[in-house]
Amino acid sequence: MKRLPTVFKLLWLLFSITTFRHFRAKVGHYFLLVAIVAVGVGAFNGIRQASRAASANFGLFNQAVSGRSDFLIESPSQRILESSLLDLQILNEDPDWHLVPVIEGSITTLGEDKNPEKQIRLIGLDLLALGNLPNVLEQNLEFAEKDDKWHEWLGSERDVWIGRKGAEALGAQVGDEIPILASGRRMKMKIRMILDDPDGNLPEDLALGDIPTIQNLLSRKGEINRVEVILDQIEKREDLEYLKKIENRLAAVLPKELILGPTENRAAERAAMTAAFRLNLSILSLIAILVGAYLILQALDAAVVRRRVEIATLRSLGIDRSILFLAYLLEALLLGLLGSIAGIGVGYLLAFASVGMLADTVNALYFSTSIEALTITSLDLGIGIGLGLVFSFLAGWLPARDATQTPPAQILARGDWSPGFSLLKNPKIGLSLIAVGILSLLLPPFVMEGGSNMPLGGFIAAGCWILGLAFLSGHFLVLIAGWMRPLCITPSSRLACSRLQDGSSRHRLAVAGLVVAVGMVTGMFQMIDSFRGTIQEWFEVRFQADLYVSERGVTGAGNLNGIDPELMDELLSDSTIRFADVMHLCYAKPKTGITILAGVDLDAWNDRVQQIWLKPPGSLKSREGVEPALISEAFARRFDLLEGGVMELDLPSGRKSISPYGIFSDYGNEFGTAAIDSETWKSWTGSRRPVNASLYLKDEFEVNAARDRLRVAFPGLDVRNGKELREVALGIFEQTFKATDALSLIGLAVAFAGLLLGLLSIFDESNRTWQTLRHLGFSTRQFLWSASFEGAGIGLTAWVSGSIAGLAMGWLLVHVINVQSFGWTLIWNIPIGEFLLFGILLIGVGFFSGFISANYWNFRRK
Amino acid sequence: MFDKTVTDNYHDKIALQVREARKDFGKVPVLKGINLEIQVGERVALMGPSGSGKSTLLNCICGIEPLDSGEISLGGNSLSNLSNHELDKLRREKIGYVFQSFHLLPTLSAFENIEFSAQLVGIKKNQRLELVSHLLERVGLSNRASHFPDALSGGERQRVALARALIHKPRLILADEPTGSLDTANGNQVLELLKSLSEEHGVSLLLVTHDHTSTQICDRVITMKDGNLEIF
Repeated sequence: MKRLPTVFKLLWLLFSITTFRHFRAKVGHYFLLVAIVAVGVGAFNGIRQASRAASANFGLFNQAVSGRSDFLIESPSQRILESSLLDLQILNEDPDWHLVPVIEGSITTLGEDKNPEKQIRLIGLDLLALGNLPNVLEQNLEFAEKDDKWHEWLGSERDVWIGRKGAEALGAQVGDEIPILASGRRMKMKIRMILDDPDGNLPEDLALGDIPTIQNLLSRKGEINRVEVILDQIEKREDLEYLKKIENRLAAVLPKELILGPTENRAAERAAMTAAFRLNLSILSLIAILVGAYLILQALDAAVVRRRVEIATLRSLGIDRSILFLAYLLEALLLGLLGSIAGIGVGYLLAFASVGMLADTVNALYFSTSIEALTITSLDLGIGIGLGLVFSFLAGWLPARDATQTPPAQILARGDWSPGFSLLKNPKIGLSLIAVGILSLLLPPFVMEGGSNMPLGGFIAAGCWILGLAFLSGHFLVLIAGWMRPLCITPSSRLACSRLQDGSSRHRLAVAGLVVAVGMVTGMFQMIDSFRGTIQEWFEVRFQADLYVSERGVTGAGNLNGIDPELMDELLSDSTIRFADVMHLCYAKPKTGITILAGVDLDAWNDRVQQIWLKPPGSLKSREGVEPALISEAFARRFDLLEGGVMELDLPSGRKSISPYGIFSDYGNEFGTAAIDSETWKSWTGSRRPVNASLYLKDEFEVNAARDRLRVAFPGLDVRNGKELREVALGIFEQTFKATDALSLIGLAVAFAGLLLGLLSIFDESNRTWQTLRHLGFSTRQFLWSASFEGAGIGLTAWVSGSIAGLAMGWLLVHVINVQSFGWTLIWNIPIGEFLLFGILLIGVGFFSGFISANYWNFRRK
Repeated sequence: MFDKTVTDNYHDKIALQVREARKDFGKVPVLKGINLEIQVGERVALMGPSGSGKSTLLNCICGIEPLDSGEISLGGNSLSNLSNHELDKLRREKIGYVFQSFHLLPTLSAFENIEFSAQLVGIKKNQRLELVSHLLERVGLSNRASHFPDALSGGERQRVALARALIHKPRLILADEPTGSLDTANGNQVLELLKSLSEEHGVSLLLVTHDHTSTQICDRVITMKDGNLEIF
């Protein structure tokens, strides 16, 4: 214990006489280093904040008006018929709570060119009732300028209220009539009033209205989405015992087809829907921190090399290894801490820049969302700074260890001492990591709260394999340089090759860092390419109808808004149509999470409508007396129905059972879809609303002419031919991978910066070799050539080893991670052209990195 | 072009001529007007205390450090008239350098280290393989040809360095304390080799040393003190 103060004193002495002076001497260098860590941590923070803001709007839109509710009464399909409200009447008589029925849906405003412009969320509330609840409402919004005018809007068919931000976004004023598309119809909504919202709680894409008005605009007469329960005694909201009592009382009288839950559950459910998406983004953004840490490692390593004589002198003066180790580790932590703090600001800026892109992705993949204000929570700060410190600590470990291995000055002066990183020279570590990766594949996927699967074993295997191959890449370097050596005939190339074949730890480290980046990026290449190829093939097979009809303007694969059934009937009566495959969709509740129940023409699906069948109809035996269904692969994998069985789903009409008799491929969603006969669907859900239809025309009619005619006749519907549909789908697909591409680019850019630093470090350590060569008459040009060859050799080896790692990643992503996360079987495509191009790029970048570092080294030496 | 200026004008008798060489590092004068001549085939020992400017003079002679004033001529060619490229060429063709700490390239074997210098001057492969084998035999290391520097003893490394300095048949060998890192027996062996090889190849030698016994292989001894040359 007595030793501790001495250690601190020595550490402080070392910091003040060496570390801080190095900082002062190279302010720009250290500033750059802190900036690199800030970018790494910032990328993680930014993606985290942006994905939260982009998909966070699972909060209730009406909260801005009705304030926080305490419980929700919902139907499993999230649609309640007004007739069911009569059953709730008994609940309404209790003085302890107030019931607030809510209807919500999406519409699209039309621009001057009559094309869809902006997606708006419509919320319908019983405004009259809300006016009577001033004591429990947290907001105080006036819905009429004078209270005595409130009756004017009662019964209005299209009057809506928007907030100040919404009015600015729409450029609308009170009394304006805004053309919109709703449920496939072209209509107009009238701005009744612009709400005074000093706190800015009303999002710009929100419009409010009275329930009948919104029902009218959405063509959903007699329907609402949910009933919210607001407790009268708002001061008891945090009293768990009281809440439990209320919940029990509510549950006791609640009709059995409705579900009661705390309001937070809904947010949690929505969060669960995007959990896999956000988890994947978080893991991807970790790459940015990883490469940032790699740069710290390289930079600290370079510092150790540059300060080798100083370290050796300190060792000669009696500073022991542990103090040196601590000093270098603390230096890494200091850089990590400064970088992480700066990363908070960088993260906010990145989040600001990327939130729109992520919101588009969530919109395309999951549900309609709007961007919430970016927020930084203390958890964000903790995670960002914590990760920065942990990675800096890990990054500082090797250089710190290397520093401790520096011998005292008298040994160093002998000139026959070669520095450490023995870990990189031991193939057992790399091989062991690969073996651990293989074993981890035996782990079952981890089931998350919302029912999505996290491929735990797959992620562990990915990490282990990438690191394992990074460790082994040094051995590849020696092998490849050995093969190349006979081909090197000039002194520069011979020297470069001999240095590579020698395989110093620093060369191995430079290759290893690149291998991690190359492995991840080439793995991503394959996944994206496999995904694109599979989807294209799926399209070829699945979409063979002549025309496709869906609601116009409203985006989102998870948007189940639907088309007015009467409008669809009108469309289907068109004389050009021979047959229509009409699809009805609604959410259904399995035991955990949420899934989708489709109502289709099963007879047509059995023979006329083409699918990619994982198990064709009839290959599974459905249970007698249970509703037969065709299920998607994601559904089958998620609910363990690959070999058939029975699945129970909660629906508005109660708990229903389905039994699969075939499994089809579906890349539309990861929640799974079960398709049952549309008549049964209608009786189970109490709804007739279709979501889309595939139209097969009579032979005598020309497709595009029919399309144009239907577009004119039904301006609120999107009518597309196969080619147009494919373009839309591929657009969504490309949107999905934007974030992935951006993160891959960040990873690659930082890895190349790491290569530059690594090469500088290598040249620093080879100082004596270059001095010798100068005395032997080796010219600057020859030195630059040699350095460039060395860089190219590192690039070549990183490409070869990284491609092996990339192939392993590709296999993992396609066959393990995708299957377990999303339940999708993809056709594994290896984009050979992209691989080759990437190889040439890597060798080129390696060559130029060598050239630039050597030039800089030469300049610095002078 | 270099061959014309350097080789054609090379003086028949004077291998190295230094006239009024001055060099300062900042405000510290290191060479204060050095004058020196070494004849072809002559072996000269340069002694002097640490900091007297010996190493700086060697660096100036091989063109790595430029003079502030004065002139250095190798074979009648003034170094100040040569471009960097020509200086590189001069170093690899006309000078052989032997270091105190050997400075072999660690990633090349003994054979390759010697061959590398020959390759730098463009000697054809067959000829250089023959030359390397001959020199390795001459320095007694034929059986160590494939060994890398870290597998050789100090004496062996210096013998390889000696062979490397001679393979391209230079006109002048600059040896900077070549026995400074060796024990007496190995030091003597290296000195003997330096003498006999320089005689065989007709090479001039400028040997920097602290050791009086080393000077025995030289024709004359000069001493540097505080940047000035004292010739005995």
